Amino acid sequence: MPFSLHFSPTPLITAPSPLSKPSFLVPYYHTLHAPKSPLCSSMEHALTHQGKQEAFDLRPEDSQTLPLGLRRDAMPSHVAVIMDGNRRWARLRDLPVRSGYEAGVESLRKIVEICCKWGIKVLSVFAFSSDNWFRPKVEVEFLMSLFERGMQEDTGIFFRENIRISVIGDLTKLPKALQELMVNLEEATKNNTLFQLIVAVSYSGHYDVVQACQRLALKAKCGLIEPSDINVSLMEQELETNCTEFPHPDLLIRTSGEFRISNFMLWQLAYTELYFAQSLWPDFGEAEFLKALLAFQQRQRRYGV
Amino acid sequence: MWHLLHVTIHLCYFAINIANALESHLISKGLLRRYKSLHISKLQYLAIVIESEDCRTSNVIELLQWLADLGVKHVCLYDMEGILKKSKDFILEKFDGATLFQENDVLLDQPLMTLEFASLSDGKEAVAKAANVLFMKYLKSGSTSSYQGEQIFTESQMGEALKTVGGNGPEPDLLLVYGPARCHLGFPAWRIRYTEIQHMGPLKSMKYGSLIKAIYKFTMVQQNYGK
Repeated sequence: MPFSLHFSPTPLITAPSPLSKPSFLVPYYHTLHAPKSPLCSSMEHALTHQGKQEAFDLRPEDSQTLPLGLRRDAMPSHVAVIMDGNRRWARLRDLPVRSGYEAGVESLRKIVEICCKWGIKVLSVFAFSSDNWFRPKVEVEFLMSLFERGMQEDTGIFFRENIRISVIGDLTKLPKALQELMVNLEEATKNNTLFQLIVAVSYSGHYDVVQACQRLALKAKCGLIEPSDINVSLMEQELETNCTEFPHPDLLIRTSGEFRISNFMLWQLAYTELYFAQSLWPDFGEAEFLKALLAFQQRQRRYGV
Repeated sequence: MWHLLHVTIHLCYFAINIANALESHLISKGLLRRYKSLHISKLQYLAIVIESEDCRTSNVIELLQWLADLGVKHVCLYDMEGILKKSKDFILEKFDGATLFQENDVLLDQPLMTLEFASLSDGKEAVAKAANVLFMKYLKSGSTSSYQGEQIFTESQMGEALKTVGGNGPEPDLLLVYGPARCHLGFPAWRIRYTEIQHMGPLKSMKYGSLIKAIYKFTMVQQNYGK
């Protein structure tokens, strides 16, 4: 999946520091920034004038304010996102693919901030799928370096904003340094409680089910459980999404107009509301997110009951 | 202000519904050119998910007839509670254009439509049973591995184990959801990695034109499978 996690310490709506991306990309950024929704203009005005350090601060009054039409009691606890469309976004602008990933990162930052302010507890993002390993080597290496750089640079934000980071997927395929970084970041933020960001890297739904079976088999072999105990409930507990209080997403958003889940959280999405947005991920902003949440709140959800 | 917003939103949705109904009518009458020729051969396997509360066999049979008219050859009917499974004989009797899908059936062109019936027990429960099968084989193999990081099972082994317990049919190319909620209600998850999913609304409001449109949209999709 075309996404990389890179929380720049710069304010949300200004161009990132030249240090955070190759300099030849910087001149293009201003003309390509996503158009603003009128709904968020007052929020943006406030953010712009708070300055660099306060860009991610959650003022108490903001946490109580929701856009018109959105009900706090019906907010999803866990939103999952397939952040599709970064490469297409870049191609449409005759930019290198890297620019699309960089723009996708900015989009993710905005959505994380909105989730924190609107009371969504968990956001899962499909950063890199098992299938993505077949992409061009140069592209994969760029993404790995982007992950590493992003996590290093944004550690301060995670601590300051009380954000817990969890990483799911087959990390053994990642560069060693990145593996260590991710494990350390997970450990260091495990007690943060305001919001949880789950990053799926080298992940697939098939992989998750198989690794859950494997863990159960090893437990049974060690005598911790009986083989006959293996059931749906035990499987659920061994899936990698068990790192959160809300392992089943209430809402899945996929951008770029594709209508499939592409091997993401196959088991967990049984009763998840599926929302397929037309916009490409770098263009997916507050207005689009609001539409998705409004659609979610309007559905008659019986949870299969 | 709130009431005004409420009314405005309702009017918008009303207008959208009218437009959709009109479009569906035009498609079913063959008046919209681009929907006239469907590349139906691209649709090898179609899954239909229906809310159990909405499972009316008369609607299901009518839907199957539409699909047969369009040339769809292989269909899986799913509802959580297995109501369609229980009505399998009745449906096959009333809709004489189909035979029961056998697990070893290859997806070839056949004179009659093949029908598969699935429910929740073919989804997560089947995976749990398959996990048991894998574990028993692992025990019998006498493997001494106890290292958690080592891979002892593979995805293809899981696929084989699912076949053993009767839970691994073909992966649908397209999944149509008939019901109020836009979710797949526990359709066997192992099978829908790359499946296109379309929400069709309640079964009782199903429209032939909407069905054609959904299949047409599917035939226009190009997937890169993550590469």
